[in-house]
Amino acid sequence: MCASVKYNIRGPALIPRMKTKHRIYYITLFSIVLLGLIATGMFQFWPHSIESSSDWSVQKRSIRDVPVVRLPADSPVPERGDLSCRMHTCFDVYRCGFNPKNKIKVYIYSLKKYVDDAGVPVSSTISQEYNELLTAVADSDYYTEDIARACLFIPSIDLLNQNALRVKETAQALAQLSRWDRGTNHLLFNMLPGGPPDYNTALDVPRDRALLAGGGFSTWTYRQGYDVSIPVYSPLSAEVDLPEKGPGPRRYFLLSSQMALHPEYREELAALQARHGEAVLVLDKCTNLSEGIPAARKRCHKHQVFDYPQVLQEATFCVVPRGARLGQAVLSDVLWAGCIPVIIADSYILPFSEVLDWKRASVAVPEEKMSDVYSILQSIPQRQIEEMQRQARWFWEAYFQSIKAIALATLQIINDRIYPYAAISYEDWNDPPSVKWGSVSNPLFLPLIPPQSQGFTAIVLTYDRVESLFRVITEVSKVPSLSKLLVVWNNQNKNPPDDSLWPKIRVPLKVVRTAENKLSNRFFPYDEIETEAVLAIDDDIIMLTSDELQFGYEVWREFPDRLVGYPGRLHLWDHEMSKWKYESEWTNEVSMVLTGAAFYHKYFNYLYTYKMPGDIKNWVDAHMNCEDIAMNFLVANVTGKAVIKVTPRKKFKCPECTAIDGLSLDQTHMVERSECINKFASVFGTMPLKVVEHRADPVLYKDDFPEKLKSFPNIGSL
Amino acid sequence: MQSWRRKSLWLALLASWLLVLLGLFPLLRLSVPTSPWAGAPQGWPRWLDAELLQSFAKPGELLEDGPRPPQALRGGSCNWGACFDTSKCRGGGLKVFVYPAAGPVSETRRRILASVEGSRYHTLSAAEACLLLLLSPDTSTGECDPVPPQWDGGRNHLVLSLHPAPCPRTFQLGQAMVAEASPTVDTFRPGFDVALPLLPEAHPLRGGAPGQLRQHSPRPGVALLALAEDGGRWHVAGTDFSACPWDGRCEQDRGPKQTHPGATLPNATFCLIPGRGPDVLHFLQALQVLTALQEMPLTRVLALRQQTQFLWDAYFSSVEKVIHTTLEVRGIHLMGALVFGSASSLPLSMPLSSDTSSALIIQDRIFGPSAHPSLLWNSPPGAILALPTFSPSPSDFPFYHLQQGSRPLGRFSALIWGGAPGQPPLKLIQAVAGSQHCAQILVLWSSEKPPPTRWPKTAVPLTVIDGHRKVSDRFFPYSAISTDAILSLDAHSSLSTSEVDFAFVVWQSFPERMVGFLTWSHFWDEARGGWGYTAKRTNEFSMVLTSAAFYHRYYHTLFTHALPKALRTLADEAPTCVDVLMNFLVASVTKLPPIKVPYGMWHQEARPPPLEPGGPGLRQEPQPAAQNCINQMAAGFGHMPLVSSRLRLDPVLFKDPVSVLRKKYRSLEKP
Repeated sequence: MCASVKYNIRGPALIPRMKTKHRIYYITLFSIVLLGLIATGMFQFWPHSIESSSDWSVQKRSIRDVPVVRLPADSPVPERGDLSCRMHTCFDVYRCGFNPKNKIKVYIYSLKKYVDDAGVPVSSTISQEYNELLTAVADSDYYTEDIARACLFIPSIDLLNQNALRVKETAQALAQLSRWDRGTNHLLFNMLPGGPPDYNTALDVPRDRALLAGGGFSTWTYRQGYDVSIPVYSPLSAEVDLPEKGPGPRRYFLLSSQMALHPEYREELAALQARHGEAVLVLDKCTNLSEGIPAARKRCHKHQVFDYPQVLQEATFCVVPRGARLGQAVLSDVLWAGCIPVIIADSYILPFSEVLDWKRASVAVPEEKMSDVYSILQSIPQRQIEEMQRQARWFWEAYFQSIKAIALATLQIINDRIYPYAAISYEDWNDPPSVKWGSVSNPLFLPLIPPQSQGFTAIVLTYDRVESLFRVITEVSKVPSLSKLLVVWNNQNKNPPDDSLWPKIRVPLKVVRTAENKLSNRFFPYDEIETEAVLAIDDDIIMLTSDELQFGYEVWREFPDRLVGYPGRLHLWDHEMSKWKYESEWTNEVSMVLTGAAFYHKYFNYLYTYKMPGDIKNWVDAHMNCEDIAMNFLVANVTGKAVIKVTPRKKFKCPECTAIDGLSLDQTHMVERSECINKFASVFGTMPLKVVEHRADPVLYKDDFPEKLKSFPNIGSL
Repeated sequence: MQSWRRKSLWLALLASWLLVLLGLFPLLRLSVPTSPWAGAPQGWPRWLDAELLQSFAKPGELLEDGPRPPQALRGGSCNWGACFDTSKCRGGGLKVFVYPAAGPVSETRRRILASVEGSRYHTLSAAEACLLLLLSPDTSTGECDPVPPQWDGGRNHLVLSLHPAPCPRTFQLGQAMVAEASPTVDTFRPGFDVALPLLPEAHPLRGGAPGQLRQHSPRPGVALLALAEDGGRWHVAGTDFSACPWDGRCEQDRGPKQTHPGATLPNATFCLIPGRGPDVLHFLQALQVLTALQEMPLTRVLALRQQTQFLWDAYFSSVEKVIHTTLEVRGIHLMGALVFGSASSLPLSMPLSSDTSSALIIQDRIFGPSAHPSLLWNSPPGAILALPTFSPSPSDFPFYHLQQGSRPLGRFSALIWGGAPGQPPLKLIQAVAGSQHCAQILVLWSSEKPPPTRWPKTAVPLTVIDGHRKVSDRFFPYSAISTDAILSLDAHSSLSTSEVDFAFVVWQSFPERMVGFLTWSHFWDEARGGWGYTAKRTNEFSMVLTSAAFYHRYYHTLFTHALPKALRTLADEAPTCVDVLMNFLVASVTKLPPIKVPYGMWHQEARPPPLEPGGPGLRQEPQPAAQNCINQMAAGFGHMPLVSSRLRLDPVLFKDPVSVLRKKYRSLEKP
């Protein structure tokens, strides 16, 4: 952009001439060339003071050197803010069309110093906080250098504090920005709006259609869904260290720390203090502080001196009444201390209220109810108080703590409006990490019993046991609700048998050949699976009766979000070894089912293949074991629910062959399986498996009732 | 000389080339300013003197911004506290008075009136009402209402209009709340007014059809997007639409894929209902919405699908639900916006953004803060069925343990309904008190005769509560109940400690369901053209008897405070109905069947002879008169909520041929 300047500085290029007779000429030529070289070198490596903006960033620069822009007195002033603006009327979403991955791109204008005709600056060039804010934006994913591809523009003109700027001239400075266009898609940040005597609740600088991220909006100035209400940053956050104090009862029930309180409010609070004694503490400015102690760090009650903000940690509730402005920096301090703010400011739009659920962290009391505040607060149960204390601190940590947090939350809110389908969820905004960690949001949360007519798809994983495979196919095909059979041929060295050799069954049979012999092929979300219910079955499970399988499917329909299987297994905590142990004995409890034959929702195939945490999937494939335990972990982890074991079935391979239960083999098998559990528990970071004492049987199972009248008579063998 | 000359000449030549190159380099750099090789610009500069910058506010400025007296209220804008007199509601909770309609009443209006009048909020006195409901005039009558008598500037009024008003209002709305369909952004006062869904004329009064989804995930190969067009047509875009980017070229293809007007919703994962803007397609293209939909993770698609069904079922499917949602359960919790997310600003409609949990924002300023409005509103069973007055903590409800990472409390209260003459149920009390999970025994004495003075000594406290001699008493939320789980019993029930223990452990896995021993099943009786139910042992069941069942104490609150009074009266008149009613209630909340656990047949043989008719006790085969009650219940609920189950939950080793010593619940296997 400063190309023309550049040409003027550079000296004329020199072209040496070949024909000459005087030595002096050569010397002159030589020295000119030399001088030229030196000059060019200096030009290259000297700090460029009036260079293009792209060069600036590479070097460290001083704010005193920013270019000065003179604003003529008659330069245009934008219209006043348009109160009817909404995203769909004043915001040009088409500018955001270039942005990849549902992320808006933000451009920041370069810093300039604006002066009026007389050379008097319009405002201080930039405050520490605004510089921090722009740095945070520039360091984020939102930032772009390319003005042509930007969706949102942030002027570097500092508007945080209206008292520090000249209203009309600042507006003129905004109007001359290169992409201003009535302020469309421009975002302005302001924390202290208005000025004496009437203290407007929004920035007075005329700004036309620009979005305003303002601290202290009221319902009358806030354009719902267009402006963003932001906190008033408290610089104390950066100066003082205030470690988190756990929730629970505190010394004072209610505290007021505001220095500038309207006398009417102060009287109300004094009356409260008189009525409730020690439980209420009303603090004021200290009058006789010795030199050198910043007034901001001390508060007094009569002659007692308290440290601020530490004293806030001594109170359960802290009042945050309106001052001249609605937005108060003390709100930030109060949250920081884990004190529950009691907002007494009618019509105040709380910071980030578009996304934050303030009911979980604060109490709003109408101004005229101020005298009742004590009884209102008393009615809140202790359990809720503790939750609110935690929530208050979490809000501070996530959204108030630093200028960076404020800036990024603001951009995220705007981003969510433009790409609502990719927006951050309520839970992500509001749930503190401890809740996110402990809670489960079941991906199949809708209580729904799928219709029986849908049926299930049986997936048989096989390698080369064709005879046994055919027997399984024949058996499974007898189950009434089977709707398709899928054979996963895991042997790359051998072709599946010819079409004519396969058993003829009443449902479609499809063979899928895999590229590699991996256990995880069993859990791949094949396109061929059209039903929601999947029956995973090994090619040697020939003992399950048709009644058992049909009943298993019926049970799955009643529990479509669970693993429904036959033989159950248990995990136990081995106190001696301090680790988990796999158990296959006759126990009264189950926490896993084997997937040698199990029904589950096909969505879990998708999760297993694409969302399995850590390296579990590869680990299973490498060890050729424990894919079933991995599936049990996965399902229990996302649903928070236990498996359902159906029928008494204990084994499902041939009862006479005891290979797998043979003593020596059994030992190593158990050790390996135990290792799997410990490995998975460490990858998941928790033990998601749930232990239950029940299994599902048909309603009339083993009841004294005519067998032929029972729906599933052929159940009960082990 | 010559060589020196030549040498210097070459040197000069070399140097000048060097010079030219060096000179050109920065020129090149300027000519391609944004190319990445130009030293990757780092954006906002790191100022050398950043440390010296001043803070945006002077030290005292944030602390003392000059106090100012409270502002007088400005007209035009209302919010809670300013325009609503909450003191009127403190006494009796939310009481709603409806202005009687003048002149002929349209069907919709009649339905609304009926649904308010049938609700527990209704009051006949305008003086004691906390909220005065004014129905906006109908399109059909065309008459304009005069200013209502208790208007008072609209204070504590809710003006409800389901259709655009046919005549200009003769009075200023002032401080009244307005509930209407499709309000404009300019007049809508967030957090005060209510946006309603636009109801079709034929919307059912009660119950309403459940959502149409029959499975959690979309069928494979189903179209990604259907676009609503004029005249009720839908244009379905296949999964291969990306090759055809909604520009002019695709317009020609539209014919064959169109559905007929009036056809049911198209078979597509997403439905798009564009606003009035003419260039929706342009808009979609610019923001690459379709790509975003296509790339949307399966997990989110599943969540969105399920949420549409839940929202529909909880708040939209009947006039009654819409009205109750507007009034909210006891305390005018207003839905700030039923305009989902930013549906009004972006033409992306309900299925796209309906899980933005901010969809339903409630304001419960009358009855103080409630802790988790969002959770209650946005997860099953929904805020109409999750009464916030029950508890501020979601963990106290049976529904939110997963989301909260909590568990139901580990003990239960046995509630024995007695009142028949004779000895106290000693054996039953001993068996129940013998359970390690039992926290207390409550005897609900409901007889004219005074209760016996002597009760057996038990390890747990035994309290006698005096009932009101009505069958519905047994489901009253007595404050004496101190645990989440209730074991509801009749004095004549027979249970063993093992059975109690096992059933309670099962209930802990399913705290939102009823877990019982004896079951009934319902069926559609073709011959009589109505519902019937039977106590015969069959291969399935849909109800468990409350003479021996575990359930969450929250259902007592729901039974007493949320059920229409008429249904409770019905149950009082025909005592066997009370079981049906309780099962209907739980099933309509959970949409799931109850759970059956094993029950020893020997109990039935040891049972005492049948008791006086009508009294509480064993309910064997329902009497013909009682058969009618299931139909009355179904009419009252507006649909048949019962769901059948084909399974029973048994202990893991139940009746297995292994040593009885291995079994934890061995006495369950008594023949």
